Amino acid sequence: MASDDKDHEKNHKKSIFTNHEISMLGIRSNLVQASFSYERMHAPGWTWAQLPYWQKIYKDDPDGLKAVMTDNMEFINSSPPLYPILMGLLLTMEEGHVDRTTIKGLKNALFGPMAGIGDAIFWFTIMPIVGGISASIAKNGNVFGPILFFLVYLFLFWSRIPLAHLGYNLGTRAIDVIQENSRIISHVASILGLTVIGGLIASYVKMSLTIKVGAGNTVINLQKQLLDKIFPNILPFAFVFLLYWLLKKNVNPIWLIVVTFVLAIVMAAIGWM
Amino acid sequence: MDVTLTQGVLIALWAMISGLDCWLQAFFIFRPIIVCTVTGLILGDLQLGVIAGGLTELAFAGLTPAGGTQPPNTVLCGIMTVVIAATNKTAPATAIGLSLPFAMLMQYILLFFYSSFSLFLPKFDEYAAEGNTRAFKRLNFVPLTIVTLSFGIMAFLSAYAAQAPMKMLVNSMPHWLTHGFELAGGILPAVGFAMLLKVMLKGQYFAYLLLGFVMASMIPFSNVLPVALVGAVFAMIEFYRSRDQIKLEKQVKEVENQSQGGGMNDGI
Repeated sequence: MASDDKDHEKNHKKSIFTNHEISMLGIRSNLVQASFSYERMHAPGWTWAQLPYWQKIYKDDPDGLKAVMTDNMEFINSSPPLYPILMGLLLTMEEGHVDRTTIKGLKNALFGPMAGIGDAIFWFTIMPIVGGISASIAKNGNVFGPILFFLVYLFLFWSRIPLAHLGYNLGTRAIDVIQENSRIISHVASILGLTVIGGLIASYVKMSLTIKVGAGNTVINLQKQLLDKIFPNILPFAFVFLLYWLLKKNVNPIWLIVVTFVLAIVMAAIGWM
Repeated sequence: MDVTLTQGVLIALWAMISGLDCWLQAFFIFRPIIVCTVTGLILGDLQLGVIAGGLTELAFAGLTPAGGTQPPNTVLCGIMTVVIAATNKTAPATAIGLSLPFAMLMQYILLFFYSSFSLFLPKFDEYAAEGNTRAFKRLNFVPLTIVTLSFGIMAFLSAYAAQAPMKMLVNSMPHWLTHGFELAGGILPAVGFAMLLKVMLKGQYFAYLLLGFVMASMIPFSNVLPVALVGAVFAMIEFYRSRDQIKLEKQVKEVENQSQGGGMNDGI
């Protein structure tokens, strides 16, 4: 209790916001995509999520409120799960009445790199791992698969609360933490993510030939007696890299899906697969 | 079996909930593994929902909205995979392929929203300039409502209204065609992985891709957790190595600065 009181006192001195309000900032950060449009991406939702806090800061200063709302309607696009850190950090500055251009400059300097880290962690690492594992459980009809998936993402939803506190408490110190670690984190996330994708290609892309080729008196099963002898899963690996090559040539992903379907249907029609 | 009107309405409601989540990306209940499971529950075949969920999730692994491309919509794909599999007794793997046109239609609707919601921006700007917080909050509910409703309508039309023509289509499909769709469902994850590789793969990381591939090919295990753990081992090693390296670089720079500064001081 003693430490609780102390924390409370400490927060009270420097902050007009209660712990609960900062937690709610983490929850409200889920609103950023509410009015998403290509023109300014997350701007309206980003502004909406933080409105109650600015209303409190600029209670007796209508011009200040107008200025902060207008400033935040500028283009912003970052990784949604990391927004709580950015919001917490900027809220400390807003509360300290730091110069408007400084806040704006910092916001614009941080959202780009944070988008990179967030995508690397959440879409390219956590999603393939959690999705891959829970799907392999669910595939056999085990209801624990979807439950596991749901619980992990519920935890990630909840983690926005400590992230908001982190951004708010670190304040401008968070900038150093983000800039120092962003390179390492995206490097490490790439290693983990690519190892997993390598594994996923082998486990989950299903391609094998059923055709048998007659050569004189012997009949050769192309898959079992040729391809599998070279390396198992060589076909999926090659096909992924064919698609990768097409993407590098700036082919629209929709065409890759079309190519996949045409290939599968043709293979089925001529009885090769 | 047929989708009853009650089931159709329930599916529409579920599409609105998960569609809203798809728009906001809050709870991730818009992923196929959850969408399929709940749809299975609504249709009274939880087992089918879970199996279809696992297969569809794999097909969509890597088909992510990150990196600037909007993939086929997971909510419509999840719902229609289970609906088609349940009503036509087709294998879930085949149903994934058949549900894809619905998912793509929803994808294009969302792309249309992304472009046309710019129309709200002048109003937002106006309220911001006035400091009108109440109107600003209220305006945000308009796009949210439009998105939620269109998910509900699309799901209801696809799952309930279109089931008779869908049945006719599926029944008239020759065996090689359904088999082709089934094959495509198995190959489809390749598209997602290729898209992930386009964003993530750099020369220095190819070794790790190969490592994961070789391990999973050699170790017959039901999921990728062992591969992920080995990946984590390398990630940890690299984490400490690069941290030390950055520290070292900093120290070298400091020493350099100091000696330079010292030289200048001596000069003065």
